[in-house]
Amino acid sequence: MNAPDRYERFVVPEGTKKVSYERDTKIVNAASFTVEREDHTIGNIIRMQLHRDPNVLFAGYKLPHPLQYKILVRIHTTSQSSPTQAYGQAIEDLDKELQYLKKALEEEKVRYEENLRQGY
Amino acid sequence: MEGAVSYQRFPKVRIREIKDDYMKFELRETDASIANALRRVMIAEVPTVAIDLVEIEVNSTVLNDEFIAHRLGLVPLTSDDAMRMRLSRDCDSCDGDGQCEFCSVEFHLNVSCDSDQTLDVTSADLRSTEPRVCPVDVAARALSLGVDSTSYDTGDHRGILIVKLRRGQELRLRAIARKGIGKDHAKWSPAATVTFMYEPEIHINEELMETLTLEEKRNWIDSSPTKVFDIDPNTHQVVVVDAEAYTYDDEVIKKAEAMGKPGLIEIYGKEDSFIFTVESTGAIKAYQLVINAIEILRQKLDAVRLQDSEESDFGELSAHL
Repeated sequence: MNAPDRYERFVVPEGTKKVSYERDTKIVNAASFTVEREDHTIGNIIRMQLHRDPNVLFAGYKLPHPLQYKILVRIHTTSQSSPTQAYGQAIEDLDKELQYLKKALEEEKVRYEENLRQGY
Repeated sequence: MEGAVSYQRFPKVRIREIKDDYMKFELRETDASIANALRRVMIAEVPTVAIDLVEIEVNSTVLNDEFIAHRLGLVPLTSDDAMRMRLSRDCDSCDGDGQCEFCSVEFHLNVSCDSDQTLDVTSADLRSTEPRVCPVDVAARALSLGVDSTSYDTGDHRGILIVKLRRGQELRLRAIARKGIGKDHAKWSPAATVTFMYEPEIHINEELMETLTLEEKRNWIDSSPTKVFDIDPNTHQVVVVDAEAYTYDDEVIKKAEAMGKPGLIEIYGKEDSFIFTVESTGAIKAYQLVINAIEILRQKLDAVRLQDSEESDFGELSAHL
Protein backbone atom coordinates (compact mmCIF):
# COMPACT_ATOMS: atom_id res chain seq x y z
CA MET A 1 0.00 0.00 0.00
CA ASN A 2 2.65 2.51 1.04
CA ALA A 3 5.46 0.83 -0.86
CA PRO A 4 7.65 3.30 -2.74
CA ASP A 5 7.38 3.18 -6.54
CA ARG A 6 9.87 0.82 -8.16
CA TYR A 7 11.11 3.48 -10.56
CA GLU A 8 12.47 5.49 -7.62
CA ARG A 9 15.51 3.24 -7.82
CA PHE A 10 16.68 4.70 -11.10
CA VAL A 11 14.82 7.94 -11.87
CA VAL A 12 16.46 11.07 -10.49
CA PRO A 13 13.75 13.13 -8.74
CA GLU A 14 12.95 16.49 -10.27
CA GLY A 15 14.95 19.32 -8.83
CA THR A 16 17.78 17.02 -7.75
CA LYS A 17 21.19 17.02 -9.39
CA LYS A 18 22.61 13.71 -10.65
CA VAL A 19 26.06 14.59 -9.32
CA SER A 20 26.91 17.11 -6.64
CA TYR A 21 30.07 17.60 -4.67
CA GLU A 22 31.18 19.16 -1.50
CA ARG A 23 34.73 20.18 -0.67
CA ASP A 24 36.22 19.12 2.61
CA THR A 25 36.52 22.13 4.89
CA LYS A 26 39.56 20.88 6.80
CA ILE A 27 41.74 19.16 4.19
CA VAL A 28 43.05 20.67 0.97
CA ASN A 29 42.19 18.76 -2.22
CA ALA A 30 39.62 16.49 -0.64
CA ALA A 31 35.97 16.27 -1.62
CA SER A 32 32.91 14.06 -1.45
CA PHE A 33 30.79 13.47 -4.53
CA THR A 34 27.17 12.43 -4.20
CA VAL A 35 25.90 10.50 -7.20
CA GLU A 36 22.12 10.06 -7.23
CA ARG A 37 20.46 6.81 -8.39
CA GLU A 38 23.68 4.87 -8.88
CA ASP A 39 25.09 1.82 -7.11
CA HIS A 40 28.11 -0.50 -6.98
CA THR A 41 28.16 -0.81 -10.79
CA ILE A 42 29.34 2.78 -11.19
CA GLY A 43 30.85 3.27 -7.71
CA ASN A 44 33.31 0.42 -7.90
CA ILE A 45 34.62 1.11 -11.41
CA ILE A 46 35.20 4.78 -10.58
CA ARG A 47 36.96 3.90 -7.35
CA MET A 48 39.26 1.35 -9.04
CA GLN A 49 40.03 3.75 -11.88
CA LEU A 50 40.89 6.51 -9.38
CA HIS A 51 43.35 4.11 -7.72
CA ARG A 52 45.32 3.99 -10.97
CA ASP A 53 45.94 7.73 -10.73
CA PRO A 54 49.16 8.37 -8.74
CA ASN A 55 47.91 11.84 -7.76
CA VAL A 56 44.99 10.31 -5.90
CA LEU A 57 45.91 9.76 -2.26
CA PHE A 58 42.57 8.30 -1.29
CA ALA A 59 39.52 7.15 -3.22
CA GLY A 60 36.59 5.27 -1.80
CA TYR A 61 32.87 4.91 -2.32
CA LYS A 62 29.94 3.78 -0.25
CA LEU A 63 26.31 2.96 -0.66
CA PRO A 64 25.06 4.49 2.61
CA HIS A 65 21.84 2.47 2.81
CA PRO A 66 20.15 -0.02 0.47
CA LEU A 67 17.00 2.10 0.39
CA GLN A 68 18.82 5.38 -0.28
CA TYR A 69 19.50 5.14 -3.97
CA LYS A 70 22.74 7.08 -4.08
CA ILE A 71 26.46 6.59 -3.64
CA LEU A 72 29.10 8.75 -2.03
CA VAL A 73 32.55 8.92 -3.64
CA ARG A 74 35.31 10.46 -1.57
CA ILE A 75 38.52 11.61 -3.22
CA HIS A 76 41.69 13.08 -1.75
CA THR A 77 44.47 14.12 -4.13
CA THR A 78 47.92 15.66 -4.08
CA SER A 79 48.36 19.34 -4.88
CA GLN A 80 49.26 18.35 -8.44
CA SER A 81 45.61 17.51 -9.06
CA SER A 82 42.18 18.16 -7.63
CA PRO A 83 39.25 15.89 -6.75
CA THR A 84 37.15 17.24 -9.63
CA GLN A 85 39.97 16.78 -12.09
CA ALA A 86 40.71 13.23 -10.90
CA TYR A 87 37.00 12.37 -11.00
CA GLY A 88 36.60 13.74 -14.52
CA GLN A 89 39.75 11.98 -15.69
CA ALA A 90 38.63 8.64 -14.23
CA ILE A 91 35.32 8.81 -16.08
CA GLU A 92 37.06 9.88 -19.28
CA ASP A 93 39.48 6.93 -19.07
CA LEU A 94 36.73 4.43 -18.29
CA ASP A 95 34.68 5.68 -21.19
CA LYS A 96 37.64 5.30 -23.56
CA GLU A 97 38.35 1.83 -22.19
CA LEU A 98 34.77 0.73 -22.86
CA GLN A 99 34.84 2.28 -26.30
CA TYR A 100 38.02 0.34 -27.02
CA LEU A 101 36.51 -2.84 -25.56
CA LYS A 102 33.45 -2.58 -27.78
CA LYS A 103 35.58 -2.17 -30.89
CA ALA A 104 37.83 -5.07 -29.81
CA LEU A 105 34.79 -7.30 -29.30
CA GLU A 106 33.34 -6.43 -32.69
CA GLU A 107 36.65 -7.15 -34.40
CA GLU A 108 37.02 -10.39 -32.49
CA LYS A 109 33.56 -11.49 -33.64
CA VAL A 110 34.53 -10.93 -37.27
CA ARG A 111 37.69 -12.98 -36.71
CA TYR A 112 35.75 -15.72 -34.87
CA GLU A 113 33.20 -16.03 -37.68
CA GLU A 114 35.95 -16.07 -40.29
CA ASN A 115 37.61 -18.95 -38.43
CA LEU A 116 34.29 -20.81 -38.29
CA ARG A 117 33.85 -20.48 -42.05
CA GLN A 118 37.33 -21.83 -42.71
CA GLY A 119 36.63 -24.73 -40.38
CA TYR A 120 33.88 -25.99 -42.66
CA MET B 1 45.22 20.88 -17.68
CA GLU B 2 42.24 18.59 -18.15
CA GLY B 3 43.07 15.22 -19.67
CA ALA B 4 46.81 15.76 -19.52
CA VAL B 5 47.61 12.20 -18.44
CA SER B 6 45.59 9.10 -19.16
CA TYR B 7 45.51 5.92 -17.12
CA GLN B 8 43.37 4.10 -19.66
CA ARG B 9 43.59 0.34 -20.15
CA PHE B 10 43.28 -1.58 -23.40
CA PRO B 11 41.42 -4.80 -22.67
CA LYS B 12 41.76 -7.85 -24.90
CA VAL B 13 38.90 -10.21 -25.80
CA ARG B 14 38.87 -13.71 -27.23
CA ILE B 15 35.60 -15.35 -28.15
CA ARG B 16 35.41 -19.08 -27.48
CA GLU B 17 31.88 -19.81 -28.59
CA ILE B 18 28.83 -17.94 -29.81
CA LYS B 19 25.32 -19.33 -30.17
CA ASP B 20 22.09 -17.34 -30.32
CA ASP B 21 21.44 -17.62 -26.62
CA TYR B 22 24.90 -18.53 -25.33
CA MET B 23 28.32 -16.97 -25.42
CA LYS B 24 31.66 -17.76 -23.80
CA PHE B 25 34.61 -15.39 -24.00
CA GLU B 26 37.84 -14.38 -22.31
CA LEU B 27 38.39 -10.85 -21.11
CA ARG B 28 41.97 -9.84 -20.31
CA GLU B 29 44.05 -6.88 -19.21
CA THR B 30 41.38 -5.18 -17.16
CA ASP B 31 40.27 -5.60 -13.55
CA ALA B 32 37.45 -7.24 -11.63
CA SER B 33 35.53 -3.96 -11.24
CA ILE B 34 34.99 -3.72 -15.01
CA ALA B 35 34.13 -7.42 -15.29
CA ASN B 36 31.63 -7.13 -12.46
CA ALA B 37 30.12 -3.91 -13.79
CA LEU B 38 29.53 -5.62 -17.14
CA ARG B 39 27.93 -8.59 -15.41
CA ARG B 40 25.69 -6.37 -13.32
CA VAL B 41 24.62 -4.27 -16.30
CA MET B 42 23.81 -7.36 -18.39
CA ILE B 43 21.57 -8.70 -15.64
CA ALA B 44 19.82 -5.55 -14.46
CA GLU B 45 20.17 -2.68 -16.91
CA VAL B 46 20.05 -3.85 -20.51
CA PRO B 47 16.51 -3.04 -21.69
CA THR B 48 14.02 -5.50 -23.15
CA VAL B 49 10.31 -5.50 -23.89
CA ALA B 50 7.85 -7.34 -21.63
CA ILE B 51 4.11 -7.30 -21.02
CA ASP B 52 3.42 -4.69 -18.36
CA LEU B 53 -0.25 -3.78 -18.53
CA VAL B 54 -3.09 -6.27 -18.97
CA GLU B 55 -6.77 -5.46 -19.49
CA ILE B 56 -8.83 -8.56 -18.90
CA GLU B 57 -12.15 -8.68 -20.73
CA VAL B 58 -13.24 -12.20 -19.87
CA ASN B 59 -11.58 -14.58 -17.48
CA SER B 60 -13.46 -17.69 -16.44
CA THR B 61 -10.31 -19.76 -15.94
CA VAL B 62 -9.18 -21.24 -12.64
CA LEU B 63 -6.45 -18.61 -12.26
CA ASN B 64 -7.31 -15.11 -11.09
CA ASP B 65 -6.66 -12.00 -13.20
CA GLU B 66 -3.47 -10.82 -11.51
CA PHE B 67 -2.03 -14.33 -11.57
CA ILE B 68 -2.47 -14.43 -15.35
CA ALA B 69 -1.14 -10.90 -15.78
CA HIS B 70 1.97 -11.90 -13.83
CA ARG B 71 2.50 -15.00 -15.95
CA LEU B 72 2.12 -12.98 -19.15
CA GLY B 73 4.75 -10.54 -17.91
CA LEU B 74 7.29 -13.34 -17.53
CA VAL B 75 7.00 -14.48 -21.17
CA PRO B 76 10.22 -13.34 -22.90
CA LEU B 77 9.56 -11.23 -26.01
CA THR B 78 11.96 -10.56 -28.89
CA SER B 79 13.56 -7.23 -27.99
CA ASP B 80 16.06 -6.45 -30.76
CA ASP B 81 14.63 -2.91 -31.02
CA ALA B 82 14.49 -2.25 -27.28
CA MET B 83 17.67 -0.13 -27.28
CA ARG B 84 15.99 2.23 -29.77
CA MET B 85 12.58 2.30 -28.07
CA ARG B 86 11.51 4.86 -25.49
CA LEU B 87 10.58 4.16 -21.93
CA SER B 88 6.88 4.92 -21.68
CA ARG B 89 7.71 7.20 -18.73
CA ASP B 90 9.81 9.45 -21.00
CA CYS B 91 7.56 9.19 -24.05
CA ASP B 92 6.07 12.51 -25.16
CA SER B 93 3.93 11.08 -27.96
CA CYS B 94 1.60 9.43 -25.48
CA ASP B 95 0.84 9.56 -21.79
CA GLY B 96 2.48 6.22 -21.26
CA ASP B 97 -0.82 4.46 -21.79
CA GLY B 98 0.72 2.31 -24.50
CA GLN B 99 -1.08 3.80 -27.44
CA CYS B 100 2.01 4.81 -29.36
CA GLU B 101 4.51 2.99 -31.54
CA PHE B 102 7.63 4.47 -29.88
CA CYS B 103 7.18 2.94 -26.47
CA SER B 104 4.76 0.03 -26.58
CA VAL B 105 3.39 -2.98 -28.42
CA GLU B 106 -0.13 -4.28 -28.06
CA PHE B 107 -1.05 -7.97 -27.76
CA HIS B 108 -4.40 -9.69 -27.94
CA LEU B 109 -5.37 -13.06 -26.59
CA ASN B 110 -8.70 -14.73 -27.16
CA VAL B 111 -9.11 -18.42 -26.37
CA SER B 112 -12.10 -20.47 -25.31
CA CYS B 113 -12.47 -24.20 -24.80
CA ASP B 114 -15.46 -26.07 -26.19
CA SER B 115 -14.20 -29.64 -26.12
CA ASP B 116 -13.94 -32.18 -23.32
CA GLN B 117 -10.18 -32.17 -23.59
CA THR B 118 -8.11 -29.74 -21.55
CA LEU B 119 -6.97 -26.84 -23.69
CA ASP B 120 -3.58 -25.22 -23.11
CA VAL B 121 -3.34 -21.45 -23.49
CA THR B 122 0.26 -20.74 -24.47
CA SER B 123 2.52 -17.96 -25.68
CA ALA B 124 1.63 -19.08 -29.21
CA ASP B 125 -1.91 -17.74 -28.67
CA LEU B 126 -0.65 -14.20 -28.13
CA ARG B 127 -1.31 -12.12 -31.23
CA SER B 128 1.10 -9.22 -31.61
CA THR B 129 0.31 -6.00 -33.47
CA GLU B 130 4.00 -5.56 -34.26
CA PRO B 131 5.65 -8.53 -36.02
CA ARG B 132 9.12 -7.67 -34.71
CA VAL B 133 7.96 -8.20 -31.13
CA CYS B 134 6.59 -11.65 -30.32
CA PRO B 135 7.24 -14.43 -27.78
CA VAL B 136 10.79 -15.77 -28.28
CA ASP B 137 9.75 -19.40 -28.57
CA VAL B 138 7.30 -18.52 -31.35
CA ALA B 139 10.03 -16.56 -33.17
CA ALA B 140 12.56 -19.38 -32.76
CA ARG B 141 10.10 -21.93 -34.08
CA ALA B 142 9.19 -19.83 -37.09
CA LEU B 143 12.89 -19.47 -37.85
CA SER B 144 13.74 -23.16 -37.47
CA LEU B 145 10.78 -24.19 -39.65
CA GLY B 146 12.09 -21.91 -42.36
CA VAL B 147 15.66 -23.24 -42.26
CA ASP B 148 15.61 -26.82 -41.00
CA SER B 149 12.96 -28.24 -38.75
CA THR B 150 15.34 -30.72 -37.11
CA SER B 151 17.30 -28.15 -35.14
CA TYR B 152 14.45 -27.44 -32.77
CA ASP B 153 12.39 -29.79 -30.63
CA THR B 154 9.91 -31.10 -33.14
CA GLY B 155 6.25 -31.75 -32.45
CA ASP B 156 6.40 -31.45 -28.71
CA HIS B 157 6.96 -27.70 -28.72
CA ARG B 158 3.69 -25.91 -28.04
CA GLY B 159 4.84 -22.65 -26.55
CA ILE B 160 5.04 -21.37 -22.99
CA LEU B 161 2.05 -22.49 -20.93
CA ILE B 162 0.00 -19.66 -19.44
CA VAL B 163 -3.13 -21.40 -18.17
CA LYS B 164 -5.21 -24.54 -18.88
CA LEU B 165 -8.91 -24.38 -19.82
CA ARG B 166 -11.66 -26.99 -19.38
CA ARG B 167 -14.94 -27.05 -21.28
CA GLY B 168 -16.78 -23.74 -21.19
CA GLN B 169 -13.90 -21.65 -19.85
CA GLU B 170 -12.69 -18.60 -21.70
CA LEU B 171 -9.85 -16.09 -21.57
CA ARG B 172 -9.97 -12.83 -23.50
CA LEU B 173 -7.61 -9.93 -22.85
CA ARG B 174 -5.56 -7.05 -24.21
CA ALA B 175 -1.97 -6.70 -23.08
CA ILE B 176 0.53 -3.91 -23.53
CA ALA B 177 4.24 -4.66 -23.66
CA ARG B 178 6.67 -1.92 -22.72
CA LYS B 179 10.37 -1.33 -22.58
CA GLY B 180 11.96 -1.74 -19.16
CA ILE B 181 15.05 -2.89 -17.26
CA GLY B 182 15.72 -5.75 -14.87
CA LYS B 183 16.31 -3.32 -12.01
CA ASP B 184 12.62 -2.37 -12.20
CA HIS B 185 11.33 -5.95 -12.42
CA ALA B 186 13.14 -9.21 -13.19
CA LYS B 187 10.77 -9.90 -16.11
CA TRP B 188 12.73 -7.30 -18.09
CA SER B 189 16.09 -8.99 -17.50
CA PRO B 190 17.50 -10.34 -20.77
CA ALA B 191 20.00 -12.54 -18.92
CA ALA B 192 19.33 -16.09 -17.79
CA THR B 193 22.78 -16.35 -16.22
CA VAL B 194 25.91 -14.25 -16.50
CA THR B 195 29.00 -15.45 -14.67
CA PHE B 196 32.71 -14.83 -14.79
CA MET B 197 35.63 -16.60 -13.17
CA TYR B 198 39.30 -15.80 -12.73
CA GLU B 199 41.48 -17.83 -15.05
CA PRO B 200 43.37 -20.29 -12.80
CA GLU B 201 47.14 -20.54 -12.93
CA ILE B 202 48.35 -23.94 -11.70
CA HIS B 203 51.95 -24.66 -10.76
CA ILE B 204 52.88 -28.25 -9.92
CA ASN B 205 56.12 -28.72 -7.98
CA GLU B 206 57.45 -31.47 -10.27
CA GLU B 207 60.37 -32.34 -8.02
CA LEU B 208 58.12 -32.92 -5.03
CA MET B 209 55.54 -34.69 -7.22
CA GLU B 210 58.12 -37.27 -8.29
CA THR B 211 58.61 -38.28 -4.66
CA LEU B 212 55.06 -39.71 -4.73
CA THR B 213 54.33 -43.27 -5.79
CA LEU B 214 51.88 -43.86 -8.64
CA GLU B 215 49.30 -44.95 -6.09
CA GLU B 216 49.76 -41.74 -4.10
CA LYS B 217 49.46 -39.64 -7.25
CA ARG B 218 46.16 -41.34 -8.11
CA ASN B 219 44.91 -40.73 -4.58
CA TRP B 220 45.87 -37.09 -4.79
CA ILE B 221 44.21 -36.63 -8.19
CA ASP B 222 41.02 -38.25 -6.91
CA SER B 223 40.85 -35.74 -4.04
CA SER B 224 39.77 -33.04 -6.50
CA PRO B 225 35.96 -32.88 -6.82
CA THR B 226 36.31 -31.83 -10.47
CA LYS B 227 38.57 -33.41 -13.06
CA VAL B 228 41.48 -30.98 -13.18
CA PHE B 229 44.45 -33.39 -13.20
CA ASP B 230 45.27 -36.74 -14.74
CA ILE B 231 48.22 -39.10 -15.12
CA ASP B 232 50.06 -39.30 -18.38
CA PRO B 233 49.80 -43.01 -19.29
CA ASN B 234 53.33 -43.11 -20.72
CA THR B 235 55.43 -41.04 -18.35
CA HIS B 236 53.25 -41.54 -15.23
CA GLN B 237 53.54 -37.82 -14.59
CA VAL B 238 50.72 -35.72 -13.21
CA VAL B 239 49.41 -33.34 -15.87
CA VAL B 240 46.77 -30.59 -15.85
CA VAL B 241 43.98 -31.67 -18.19
CA ASP B 242 41.46 -28.92 -17.55
CA ALA B 243 42.62 -25.95 -15.47
CA GLU B 244 39.23 -24.23 -15.74
CA ALA B 245 37.44 -27.16 -14.14
CA TYR B 246 39.08 -26.04 -10.90
CA THR B 247 36.50 -24.45 -8.62
CA TYR B 248 38.93 -22.81 -6.15
CA ASP B 249 37.87 -25.42 -3.58
CA ASP B 250 41.42 -25.91 -2.16
CA GLU B 251 40.81 -29.67 -1.86
CA VAL B 252 44.01 -30.67 -3.67
CA ILE B 253 46.03 -28.25 -1.54
CA LYS B 254 44.58 -29.67 1.68
CA LYS B 255 45.19 -33.20 0.41
CA ALA B 256 48.83 -32.41 -0.36
CA GLU B 257 49.24 -31.08 3.17
CA ALA B 258 47.53 -34.15 4.63
CA MET B 259 49.97 -36.34 2.67
CA GLY B 260 52.83 -34.43 4.26
CA LYS B 261 53.77 -32.66 1.02
CA PRO B 262 52.92 -28.99 1.51
CA GLY B 263 53.89 -26.87 -1.49
CA LEU B 264 53.15 -29.73 -3.89
CA ILE B 265 50.85 -27.45 -5.76
CA GLU B 266 50.19 -23.73 -5.98
CA ILE B 267 47.07 -22.30 -7.62
CA TYR B 268 46.34 -18.63 -8.19
CA GLY B 269 43.53 -16.79 -9.89
CA LYS B 270 44.98 -14.41 -12.48
CA GLU B 271 43.59 -11.10 -11.36
CA ASP B 272 43.35 -9.57 -14.81
CA SER B 273 41.91 -12.52 -16.77
CA PHE B 274 38.26 -13.46 -16.76
CA ILE B 275 36.25 -16.18 -18.42
CA PHE B 276 32.69 -15.03 -19.04
CA THR B 277 29.68 -17.25 -19.63
CA VAL B 278 26.58 -15.42 -20.84
CA GLU B 279 23.22 -17.09 -21.30
CA SER B 280 20.33 -15.06 -22.68
CA THR B 281 16.60 -15.64 -22.26
CA GLY B 282 16.31 -15.26 -26.02
CA ALA B 283 14.98 -11.70 -25.84
CA ILE B 284 18.31 -10.49 -27.24
CA LYS B 285 21.09 -12.57 -28.80
CA ALA B 286 23.89 -13.27 -26.30
CA TYR B 287 26.49 -11.38 -28.32
CA GLN B 288 24.18 -8.38 -28.65
CA LEU B 289 23.58 -8.52 -24.90
CA VAL B 290 27.30 -8.00 -24.25
CA ILE B 291 27.52 -5.17 -26.81
CA ASN B 292 24.43 -3.49 -25.34
CA ALA B 293 25.85 -3.81 -21.83
CA ILE B 294 29.02 -1.96 -22.87
CA GLU B 295 26.90 0.73 -24.50
CA ILE B 296 24.64 1.11 -21.45
CA LEU B 297 27.64 1.33 -19.14
CA ARG B 298 29.06 4.12 -21.31
CA GLN B 299 25.75 5.97 -21.15
CA LYS B 300 25.73 5.60 -17.37
CA LEU B 301 29.26 6.98 -17.12
CA ASP B 302 28.29 9.86 -19.34
CA ALA B 303 25.40 10.69 -17.00
CA VAL B 304 27.63 10.89 -13.92
CA ARG B 305 30.04 13.40 -15.47
CA LEU B 306 30.30 16.69 -13.62
CA GLN B 307 28.53 19.43 -15.52
CA ASP B 308 30.83 22.17 -16.85
CA SER B 309 29.36 24.79 -14.56
CA GLU B 310 30.28 22.69 -11.55
CA GLU B 311 33.85 22.10 -12.61
CA SER B 312 35.63 24.75 -10.68
CA ASP B 313 39.22 23.56 -10.52
CA PHE B 314 40.52 27.08 -10.44
CA GLY B 315 37.82 28.17 -8.06
CA GLU B 316 38.93 25.51 -5.63
CA LEU B 317 42.56 26.52 -5.96
CA SER B 318 41.83 30.16 -5.24
CA ALA B 319 39.55 29.23 -2.37
CA HIS B 320 42.46 27.63 -0.56
CA LEU B 321 45.01 30.33 -1.32
